[in-house]
Amino acid sequence: MSFSSWVRGTRLYFHMVAASIRAQMQYRYGFFMNILGWAMSYAGTAVTMWVMLYSFQSLEGWSFWQLIFLFALAVLSWGVCVIFFFHFRSLDQYILNGTFDRFLVRPIHPFFHFMAMKFDVGAFGQLLFSIAAVTLAYIQLGLDWPFWKWGVFTSAVIGGTLIQGGILVLISAIAFWTTRSERFYWVVMFPAKSMMNYPLSLYPRAIQWVVTFILPFAFVNYLPALLLLDKPHPSFSSYWGAFSFAVGLVFFSICYQIWMMGLNRYKSAGS
Amino acid sequence: MGIIDVNHLSKQYFIAKRQEGMWGAVRSLFHREYITKTAVEDVSFSIEAGEMVGYIGPNGAGKSTTIKMLTGILVPSAGDVTVGGLVPYRERQKNARQIGVVFGQRSQLWWDLPTIESFELLKQVYAISDQQYRKNMDTFTEILRLDEFYQTPVRQLSLGQRMRADIAASLLHDPAILFLDEPTIGLDVVAKERMRTFIQEMNQERGITVILTTHDMADIERLCKRMILIDQGRVMYDGGLSKIRDRFGKSRILIVDLEKDTQLQVQGAELIRSEGNRKWLRFNREEITAAQLIQQVSIQADIQDLSLEEPEIDSIIRQMYEEGLSVG
Repeated sequence: MSFSSWVRGTRLYFHMVAASIRAQMQYRYGFFMNILGWAMSYAGTAVTMWVMLYSFQSLEGWSFWQLIFLFALAVLSWGVCVIFFFHFRSLDQYILNGTFDRFLVRPIHPFFHFMAMKFDVGAFGQLLFSIAAVTLAYIQLGLDWPFWKWGVFTSAVIGGTLIQGGILVLISAIAFWTTRSERFYWVVMFPAKSMMNYPLSLYPRAIQWVVTFILPFAFVNYLPALLLLDKPHPSFSSYWGAFSFAVGLVFFSICYQIWMMGLNRYKSAGS
Repeated sequence: MGIIDVNHLSKQYFIAKRQEGMWGAVRSLFHREYITKTAVEDVSFSIEAGEMVGYIGPNGAGKSTTIKMLTGILVPSAGDVTVGGLVPYRERQKNARQIGVVFGQRSQLWWDLPTIESFELLKQVYAISDQQYRKNMDTFTEILRLDEFYQTPVRQLSLGQRMRADIAASLLHDPAILFLDEPTIGLDVVAKERMRTFIQEMNQERGITVILTTHDMADIERLCKRMILIDQGRVMYDGGLSKIRDRFGKSRILIVDLEKDTQLQVQGAELIRSEGNRKWLRFNREEITAAQLIQQVSIQADIQDLSLEEPEIDSIIRQMYEEGLSVG
């Protein structure tokens, strides 16, 4: 791809994103309730954690504010991910009612086109909550990160976005084969995400391996948090947390390839 | 060589047997049983630039599948297809620049946005110059009166308005070829007529090649000199409209609403349906005129209302089967 086509693609992306935001603002009440709703629901989870920790003092050696940090780090990258990829889960709807074909009769890349169709502003609620929570935790824990730790933090946010985005892309790709995708989101993604709100060491060894080496959720928040909060793990090196971005990049490109395979299968089979 | 060349084109679908429930969905990821269905079989035709061709057939005949292969959405199972010198499924994006597509039942526009915004987005998508955009918008606005609903979100448009917007959107980038899949479906008489006039004008003034699928014989009569009739994936007829109509389009149906339910005894016509006071009479217009038939009926009963129906494409095809296919 040449430089000028990148520029054109970026401009086009912003045009479509702006249109998507305007479309969501057509429903003004829904627009604000969506943002508020997400922020409130995460604040609710944080309160649950507080209540729990109030009686236990600590969980697997994690204090309340450390847990909040772990949780907020996951919500932060999930928030960014929702903005770009959340609508991928409902690809099945587009396929079933035939509107997916429109992405194939236009002179732009279908993945890019589908991605640019929605820019989910509801995610600002997540961002609002998570930035506030990370800031509070940073102050409460008396953290004073050197420069490289800010690098790890940034890599965790971008890597986490790519990992979770990759899984959403993967889930949507299932629709090319089965014409269903949304339900897989609720069965796979939703429970996995709730699980990641707590330290991984709580869970059986097998699960820890799966979310580290197969669906790399551990790189979203747990492993970077270990490194950023100087916490040990019995078998994993704490420096693994530095590789979130690289893991995210590789994982996302695999998921993208699978999506394109699905698209080819759609083109030869129809719906 | 035409602008569209189709040679021995076939498309088979492998349809998975659906399995129920969540567990079925998971299981179907690993193991599926397939049924083969041939949607298009050994179809060949060539269309010259500037032609307007009706591509017709009953539901499930393979019309949409053919259109999807011509637009690059689907990859053929066998055979060759070129559109404007390109193989659509290999050079899909390039092909997209030279074609316009309207799917009658599915809008291509941004549902929640004011109509005008869809046009502006398409300007970006197709990288249309300001000058070309303004020129086309002026023309389309004038003929299709788009300005009546520029600011209305697409989801609030009437079907007629939406179709006007959709067809204008498909022509914004000056395509050489226009595919219309059921462009008049569900429209009222006035909206249909407006649509047809616009299509005709675009064909005559801009020389756009038009391929349209339809159920409505009136669309074909009004717009197309040539029609390709397909059924069960095969081409049954390719040629002028007049020939097929002279041969098969002779029957008409007279629908009468009577003052009260009466047993009709008419000659030269057949009573094919009866619902209370409403009667359907089929006749051959070469054997009896509508006027003669109406006269016969009016002697026996008082007529409140009446209408004449042209044969629909489905019944023409049925007749072709019954009487043999040797039309060409």
